[in-house]
Amino acid sequence: MKIRHFPFVASIVFAVIIPFLPLILWSFSTRYHYPALLPQEFGIRGWMYVLDTARGQIAAGIYESFTLALVTTLISLVFGLPAGRALGLYDFPGKKLASLLLMLPVIVPPLSVTMGLHLWFIRLELVETFAGVVLIHLTFCLPYTIFVFWGVFSDYDPDFEDQARSLGASPSHVVFKIMLPMVLPGVVVAALFSFLLSWSQYLSTLIIGGGKMLTLPILLFSLMDSGDRPIAGAVCLIFILPAFLALIATTKSLGHQSLKGMH
Amino acid sequence: MNVNFSGFNYLTIAVLIFLVCNLPQLCPAEDEIPDWDSAVADSSGQTVNWYMWGGSPAVNRYVNGYLARELKNRFNINLRQVPVKDIAEIVSKLMVEKAAGKNSGGSVDLMWINGENFRTCKRENLLFGPFADVLPNQRFVDWHNPAVENDFGTPVAGMESPWGSAQFVMIYDSARTPDPPTTIADLIRWIIKHPGRFSYPAPPDFTGSAFVRHFFYHTGAPEKWQQGYNEAELKESADSTYAILNDLKPFLWREGSTYPDSPVRLNSLFVDNEIDFSFSYHQGEATRNILDGIFPDTVRTYVFDEGTIANTHFVAIPFNAENKEGAMVVANFLLSPEAQYKKAEPDVWGDFPVVSTTRLPVEWQEKFNTRPRGVATLDDQQLQSHQLPEPPSDILVYLEKGWENQVLKSR
Repeated sequence: MKIRHFPFVASIVFAVIIPFLPLILWSFSTRYHYPALLPQEFGIRGWMYVLDTARGQIAAGIYESFTLALVTTLISLVFGLPAGRALGLYDFPGKKLASLLLMLPVIVPPLSVTMGLHLWFIRLELVETFAGVVLIHLTFCLPYTIFVFWGVFSDYDPDFEDQARSLGASPSHVVFKIMLPMVLPGVVVAALFSFLLSWSQYLSTLIIGGGKMLTLPILLFSLMDSGDRPIAGAVCLIFILPAFLALIATTKSLGHQSLKGMH
Repeated sequence: MNVNFSGFNYLTIAVLIFLVCNLPQLCPAEDEIPDWDSAVADSSGQTVNWYMWGGSPAVNRYVNGYLARELKNRFNINLRQVPVKDIAEIVSKLMVEKAAGKNSGGSVDLMWINGENFRTCKRENLLFGPFADVLPNQRFVDWHNPAVENDFGTPVAGMESPWGSAQFVMIYDSARTPDPPTTIADLIRWIIKHPGRFSYPAPPDFTGSAFVRHFFYHTGAPEKWQQGYNEAELKESADSTYAILNDLKPFLWREGSTYPDSPVRLNSLFVDNEIDFSFSYHQGEATRNILDGIFPDTVRTYVFDEGTIANTHFVAIPFNAENKEGAMVVANFLLSPEAQYKKAEPDVWGDFPVVSTTRLPVEWQEKFNTRPRGVATLDDQQLQSHQLPEPPSDILVYLEKGWENQVLKSR
């Protein structure tokens, strides 16, 4: 079975890895001029900048981004799951309106959403606070989380819960032992979406965070157009790495769980 | 009952005071400019948040390394760089804060600006000042130099403090193009003789826009635009500029169907041997790029015989900055001979000093005059004898719009 899947798996790995090759080459080059295919001179100037000169800033940026993304993800799961369940399982008046409203932050350009909310956030004294930045990230993350759970719960059979209840399971038992294990792949996908969206926010963090939150994207986006490809390459890899690790970690549980659920 | 009533009354008064004080027009933010000694005294322990374009690793290194270290040691100021992609984003942020009445406790203490952004800030009253004349190191600056007195035609009037100066230079690879064209007229002939080997970033990109202004100056006397021109003259010169650029289109890279979107893309096309010239609004950039291995060693720069445009870049303090005293001390230190000298070193940043050498103490004069220059950087004499002023920023905007309508869109 492993052999049969090999070409398929190999092509996926190839397609995922190949785009990173130029980045890796650039980040380890000091001289890489046209028309050479490989760098004429290898070196670690790009990495020295990221890991030494700007180390303090970048380490603080990773920490800031990670905490923001984590908190945003947790909150969007807590709110997204019940909302998605309601939209997926029940019909109620105003359901279309609710889904339209939920879609809005995704349809309207993020810049307008952020600029509009900025004025309100100033009045509510939420600008330049951690909570404010989490809230603005939620504006973009929550709709996606809800839509993922909406899809998940459309295929969900609540009869399992009734069975458990008729056998005497408590409400919390039903939630944690019946519902959550069944929708776990959905939770993982929603969490991943949310995490990556928050992880890559630039403009909203800059405007609402007002420079108080120096997340990784703020540090990196300003460097991207430096024209210094070795540094840009190193910086891109640093930016991608955590997301890549999150993806690998979740695919494992995702693949495992969905196989179980297929039977 | 009585007690309750008066308690209610105090509360009402408190609320009223709160409301009144939050109306920006009734309680303007404290706008007094501190004198120098009290600014220095108050600045100790402050954290100065400096918002600036963060696209240059060399600048970032200078700011976060040398400047941060020196400011901490000398004045106990924590310098915190906030790198942004475009300082205009921060100008918009300040406009929103102004509209919302946030007149104090703003997060931006200092920003690196000039030109159009300065004009917007000044027009919308987004700046604190005039503070520049309070800074002792202003004595090293020649305020009679038109490029310092006016920022793209907008009088500086002490609302921003100079940091460095920049001049437009052409960049070429002497191994590929041993004999570059040294006048605009020659350049036009060169482009026609070498189809597909030249391009320029599309305005309103800063550098592309500056390039177009050289062609605009080519149509008449550059001095004319500093003052006293009329609409008709402007239109005539602008139209002949567009005509020249339109005629060149078929000979540009990809026949002018597309343009690079930034000087960075232009540099990439240049090093990738797609085109033969790049240019920069920074006289030391080519050397810097050679040192970093981005450009080959044979790259050199030159200025046109008729001169190239030069300007000054500044730092300004927003109206609602929380640490204005600290920001003033930083702005002053930026002008000190040691900070200006360090900034000019080719392996640090290579930015040109904004202080005028003749005004410096004698020992510094000597150092500045004999300072090392990079292989591809012209000397002060060559640069300064070929400087043209920037036109007022409304001409700049006029040309950018016109270029878009009459050059970009005429297919």
